[in-house]
Amino acid sequence: MAITFEQIKHVTAELYSRSLRGIPADAMQALKEADQAETHETARHTLRIMIQSAQEAQSSGSFVCSDAGIPVYFVRVGTQARFSGDVRRAVTEGFDDLVQTIQPPLLTHVTNPMTNERGYKGKDMPIVTFDLVDGSDCVDITCSPKALGSGRWAALEIFSFPDLGTIEQYILDVVARAGSQPCPPVVIGVGIGGTFDYAAKMAKEATLRPIGQHHPEPMVAAMESRLRAGINMMGFGPMGTGGDSTASAVHINYAAGHGFTPVAVAFNCWINRRTRARIHNDGRIETIE
Amino acid sequence: MQTHRMNFPLSEADARKLQLGDQVVMDGEIIVTAGLPTHHRLVDCLDGQEPFPFEMRGQSLFHLGSYSRETGTTKGGQDLDIVYINPTTSTRFNPVMPRLIDKLQLHAVGGKGGLDKLSVAAMQKTGCVYLSFLGGGAALHTQAIRQVLQVGWADMLMHYRLVRLRVEGLGPVTVAIDAHGNSIYASAQATAQANRPSISKFLDEQRAHFMNPSSKTNP
Repeated sequence: MAITFEQIKHVTAELYSRSLRGIPADAMQALKEADQAETHETARHTLRIMIQSAQEAQSSGSFVCSDAGIPVYFVRVGTQARFSGDVRRAVTEGFDDLVQTIQPPLLTHVTNPMTNERGYKGKDMPIVTFDLVDGSDCVDITCSPKALGSGRWAALEIFSFPDLGTIEQYILDVVARAGSQPCPPVVIGVGIGGTFDYAAKMAKEATLRPIGQHHPEPMVAAMESRLRAGINMMGFGPMGTGGDSTASAVHINYAAGHGFTPVAVAFNCWINRRTRARIHNDGRIETIE
Repeated sequence: MQTHRMNFPLSEADARKLQLGDQVVMDGEIIVTAGLPTHHRLVDCLDGQEPFPFEMRGQSLFHLGSYSRETGTTKGGQDLDIVYINPTTSTRFNPVMPRLIDKLQLHAVGGKGGLDKLSVAAMQKTGCVYLSFLGGGAALHTQAIRQVLQVGWADMLMHYRLVRLRVEGLGPVTVAIDAHGNSIYASAQATAQANRPSISKFLDEQRAHFMNPSSKTNP
């Protein structure tokens, strides 16, 4: 058997639609923990309305945010996976069909950067990144729609043989620049090393890691913990109106590189939109998140 | 932290009563748009290039995107329903907001993320507050819409149009810039900058402790 065009089309569209109507379980848990730990009254109040808003969207099937963002997919293809049709075209057609039928309807957010014209279609849209997974017999698809609110604050700088202190200061600089804007509490993804393109990809992937799951290497995990604590001492708080809960997580990925070390930083807003499913060769569709 | 239930468009007197961090629940009329081109067009109106689609003076103008659709029946206002509303990033409108606040005598603006110091100064002058809406609050905000009163500039993209709404119980929203020159956003940035040396010291100590757990620095 093989993974069909129709399956890819259906699953990618469904992942996008579902990602808009609730928040992941880890994001909900993070809000509840922030509410317990938060010392500012207004901040606690805001956190509780966030929880209420997410629950209301989930139970009514409406959108958490009016900005559905653009569809962004991370597709991990098993080397043993077999396809009976086009994959890229299936993702594109899935989104094209979805915008005609989705309820409530989407606003036109797909923007041509050369003209600022907006619609439902655009060059290279949806944004899809493909990776290979050795030995796997399925395709593993994550959908993480991205909008301006948190998307515009991502940044990357290239250093020459930086020490960890220099890298940490840069991450604080980027967080300070974003400040109250990216709808905190945010998930901060960091990519260190590799190359320009690879660092950005690592940072994005780091934002997709479930909150509370640290990097397996103790040195990186310790850096994640101290950066989160340090960032929460900045005081931006929920929705940036003051408080202890600015970052619900800092996730760091790294790769070996040369002496030039790119450091990329990306943000997910508090709703942390993320859905994930696998399609197996035998036709089984497995919902992961 | 006080919660106020207030009538909108907000009066100058009510705006001046509000303190930073106060919560406001709104009843009455508001105008919403999420469009940067809309803001430029409002400036063109001030320059006399075209008339405003409806009275803008003294209104409450919020950076909220909305999806509206025709109902086929007129219920006193436009034959439109709002399917959802939600705030957008206000700082995008920094270059035009001081002039709009000043010339239109706005007493309430809002959205998410705040406005810069030029807007804060204009707001102090006219008696205007900035209200922070919950980003990702579409499910709650939308429940408060009672009627679409008027839609201006239907030739624009849906979320760019100027939409005049009647709302009941919209909020609570947070007073994040008051009418007396105070901004939660400016103070949050100032606090973050002031805390940087102690944060750096904390990070250095934690890093040193990890590298050498027997060192005397506190974990």
